Amino acid sequence: MATQEKTKLVAVVDDDELMRSALQGMLKSVGLPSQAFASAEEFLNSGQQRQTACLIADIRMPGMSGLELQAQLNAERCRIPTIFITAHGDTKMRMQALRAGAVEFLAKPFDDEALLGSVRAALEN
Amino acid sequence: MKVLSKLQRYGLAVISCGVALVLAGPIDAPSSCFLLAVTVSGLFGGLGPNLLSVALSALAFAYFFLGRPSPPIRESTSLLRFGAFLAAILLVTALMEIKRRAEESRSRSEEALRQAHVELAHANRVTTMGELTASLAHEVNQPIAAAVTDANTCLRWLTRDHPDIEEAREAAMRMAKDATRAAEIISKVRQIFKKGAQQRELVDVNEIIREMIVLLRKELSCQSIAVRTELAADLPKLKGDRVQLQQVLMNLMVNSIDAMKNVEGKRELTIKSQRAQEEDEQLMVLVSDTGVGLPPQHADHIFNAFFTTKTDGTGMGLRISRSIVESHGGRLWATDNHPRGASFHLTIPTKIEAHE
Repeated sequence: MATQEKTKLVAVVDDDELMRSALQGMLKSVGLPSQAFASAEEFLNSGQQRQTACLIADIRMPGMSGLELQAQLNAERCRIPTIFITAHGDTKMRMQALRAGAVEFLAKPFDDEALLGSVRAALEN
Repeated sequence: MKVLSKLQRYGLAVISCGVALVLAGPIDAPSSCFLLAVTVSGLFGGLGPNLLSVALSALAFAYFFLGRPSPPIRESTSLLRFGAFLAAILLVTALMEIKRRAEESRSRSEEALRQAHVELAHANRVTTMGELTASLAHEVNQPIAAAVTDANTCLRWLTRDHPDIEEAREAAMRMAKDATRAAEIISKVRQIFKKGAQQRELVDVNEIIREMIVLLRKELSCQSIAVRTELAADLPKLKGDRVQLQQVLMNLMVNSIDAMKNVEGKRELTIKSQRAQEEDEQLMVLVSDTGVGLPPQHADHIFNAFFTTKTDGTGMGLRISRSIVESHGGRLWATDNHPRGASFHLTIPTKIEAHE
């Protein structure tokens, strides 16, 4: 009987290098493997989508935005639980993200326990 | 003109009267010689030496050229001559003094005007703060959020049953890097608000354009504005005030962004720089947008103080940008862009003064 081990890979997509290092450091400290991508395009081209169990993404990035990435993944029928983190957190954007299936929408600077809670919840399902 | 010391100035008065005395006899023109002496003393010496030369001239004139020495002079013609002479040298003295006062008052008001310009530029920088706040708050929030995360990560490594010092150290190092980055952004901002007279240095305008695009990066992507740059590689460096030129480019770019805010269709910001082919070495910068465009028939009015189409605008941005460009010897004007939008043209001479 082949049981596919549930993947726990967390993908981080943010154009800011400091933010990527911080998020990867945080995930490592709770024992979660992660991979970082500097842009939405890089993530899509990596082919890692199917192995990703949870996605943490910035909204505003040069090139494809976080919301556009979410739409693209939905179109590819690749439903990855997504948590958005952004410096500009207006209500309209929040509603849009949640409606498109986002798990959580957090404003920077965020409470890392809140983020980890959402990540763990996403990985449980 | 070299500023002479007090001794030199009074000495000059004495010497010029002496010279006049020596020449007056042989050429038989005492009035003219002494008048000349008084004028020279007044021009180069100031009020004190002037009066000294008046006294010396009057005495010399009366003693040597009116006949018998000692006061009072007997003959009426002599008296008349003396009177005329005295009137002439006193008139010259008075005119010199009036001229000196007028020059002093003019240089004082020029200084006051220059000071007022500095104040106005400072006020503009402070009001421009509203324009910069959005992109800056965003820029600074990133490293701060990263620092908070790294600090918590560090704590997590340290509060385990078996703390991992190495990991904690790495997290702490990342945190230091984040905080430093935040400080860098803030110090860049503070430079823009520092009050001071123009600081002239060699400036690369292409570099400023790129810097301003980076600062506005998030705003541009948020408004879905495509940025196109055509920056001449051989653009000459320009001797100017770097901070003021940053201000001008920031102002033009923010105006373009605002003009395209709710516009349907293509949103494009184009920035070009090139060397101008004219007799003077000039550089030209063009900032164009596909926004709402200029008010018809009154294109130049937008450069007036207090002209604004924004509900929260101060109306000072373009006015001040233009005066900064003009103080660099250049010109700033606007034309319509086709099919829609506005283009702002900037030319500045790059010839460096021979003596600086």
